[in-house]
Amino acid sequence: MNVIETYNLCKYYKEKRAVDNLNLGVPEGVIFGYLGPNGAGKTTTIRLLLNLAKPTSGYAVVLGENITKSRKYLKKVGFLPDVPNFYNYFTAREYLELLSEIIKVDKKRVDEVLEIVGLKSEKKRIGTFSRGMKQRLGIAQALLSDPQILILDEPASALDPQGRKEVLDLIASLRGEKTVFFSTHILSDVERICDRVGILKEGKLILNDTIDNLKKRFSKRILHIEVNNPQKLFEKLKKENWIESISFSDKNALLIRVKEIQRAQREIPRIIVEEDILIDRFEFLEPTLEDIFFEVIS
Amino acid sequence: MILKLMKKEWKELIKTGKIYALLFPFLFFSILSPVIAKFTPEIIKSLTSTQDMQGIIIKIPPPTWKDAFLQFFKNLNQIVFLVIAIVFLGSISEEKNKGTAAIMVTLGIDRKEWVIAKFLFQVLVVFSLIFLSYILCVYYTYFLFSEVGIYETIASTFLYLVYIFFILSLCIFSSSIGNNMLQSVGIFFAIFVLFTLFSIFPNLEPYNPLTLSSLQNQWIVKGVIWKDAIENISTVIIYSVILITLGIIYFEQQEL
Ligand SMILES: Nc1ncnc2c1ncn2[C@@H]1O[C@H](COP(=O)(O)OP(=O)(O)OP(=O)(O)O)[C@@H](O)[C@H]1O
Ligand SMILES: [Mg+2]
Repeated sequence: MNVIETYNLCKYYKEKRAVDNLNLGVPEGVIFGYLGPNGAGKTTTIRLLLNLAKPTSGYAVVLGENITKSRKYLKKVGFLPDVPNFYNYFTAREYLELLSEIIKVDKKRVDEVLEIVGLKSEKKRIGTFSRGMKQRLGIAQALLSDPQILILDEPASALDPQGRKEVLDLIASLRGEKTVFFSTHILSDVERICDRVGILKEGKLILNDTIDNLKKRFSKRILHIEVNNPQKLFEKLKKENWIESISFSDKNALLIRVKEIQRAQREIPRIIVEEDILIDRFEFLEPTLEDIFFEVIS
Repeated sequence: MILKLMKKEWKELIKTGKIYALLFPFLFFSILSPVIAKFTPEIIKSLTSTQDMQGIIIKIPPPTWKDAFLQFFKNLNQIVFLVIAIVFLGSISEEKNKGTAAIMVTLGIDRKEWVIAKFLFQVLVVFSLIFLSYILCVYYTYFLFSEVGIYETIASTFLYLVYIFFILSLCIFSSSIGNNMLQSVGIFFAIFVLFTLFSIFPNLEPYNPLTLSSLQNQWIVKGVIWKDAIENISTVIIYSVILITLGIIYFEQQEL
């Protein structure tokens, strides 16, 4: 079952198509990484999903509710904005306790969430917090009502390496229990904890799949070859039309992207034999998410 | 939920120290107004007797409690009015500007209730302060003049409450429309100036909230005539309801 579904969702600002005909489904219980370069429309999508912005056309269904018709679902969604801001004159605890009263959550939960984000013994006013501390408080606030869905806009962007690891571990620990939808630029984070990724470019969703499927789809298209005379092989291969790109990865090794895997498997060994080159290594590489990302957005 | 939201507003008012910005002018002018009324003639007299104006005879009638309350309302209508506007004009717009409004509504807090809580809270705080000031002013007036017209002063203060109710709804409206404090201030004063211009036309008087201020003075000086104010009070309350409703509707639709 999908807990988030969008149907031809569009958001235009004057001439700018921030989100363009988005059809996205996020199944229950997954950790969904929402990727895209700056200005791709990630924050805009999130704002649409949270009813902070109105779609130009199309709609979305969150937890079975059409978000253009109802706002009840918001109680079951936790949200961390990209630049979190709070009432600066309160301490973290005062702030969360006040919220817990307003949204009718047990005050004990405040201790729990402060513990989770490591702000339990922090006595300063929020106004004096660093960006990372505000981000932690934002995560605490998103968790406060124990929501079914967490929507996090770049949750780790301001955190130090230690904090980033903690937050990622925290998100990973929610797997299966909650649905987490988070946007980020950091591909290695996504690779580490996400089940699914969506890649957005100029408001359009250009890819939406599980990481495993993506790797299968894109793997075996990168070849790592080590030979005694890479220059000679390079000259031979660069003319072939089934080769997409070819480069030296170090002194004796070539990194080759191919368009047709079977031709590569047949042709490259033949050329090696014909040219009397000695082969040290012939390997299909597993692509990183970074490789896939750059391939699909370019 | 509205009560809890009001509690949040209260805590914020205290934590930010804005409560003092409100409290001090009220206290100050409720005590000072009778004092000014009492001693102004004497000060003028002492000035004329010491300097080279001795030949001039200025006849000033001895001040009464009426002068004390005229002073009181004059100060409430000028300085205290400004303070109220400054403290409350950012209540919604600055939360929009800083992004805290977005956080509150994504927590599932009803937008309508959020605005209503703010308005009710502001009415509650300002009315309490006016009540307190009234008591103080009556006390000091009695202390200095040995008499005070309770009925007239209560009736005039009631007019002031109606007027402030309108001002607070105008604040909420401006705050809901504006995207930051500055815009809200602009909208607020634009509408206020519009009503000031209306005062030029005497036949529009019953429909102008600002008429309430001149009625206050009339009632103090000449006595209370409810008939004069009924129409005005009703239209002002209707304006207020319209402003609040528009403010809510606008905020409901708005992107945050
Ligand atoms: N309120 C707005 N008015 C006009 N244009 C806007 C508005 N909000 C966003 N945009 C435009 O929409 C596009 C998408 O912006 P968005 O903030 O969604 O990108 P993003 O993917 O979150 O980028 P980043 O990675 O930098 O956070 C941008 O070109 C931006 O300029
Ligand atoms: Mg963004």
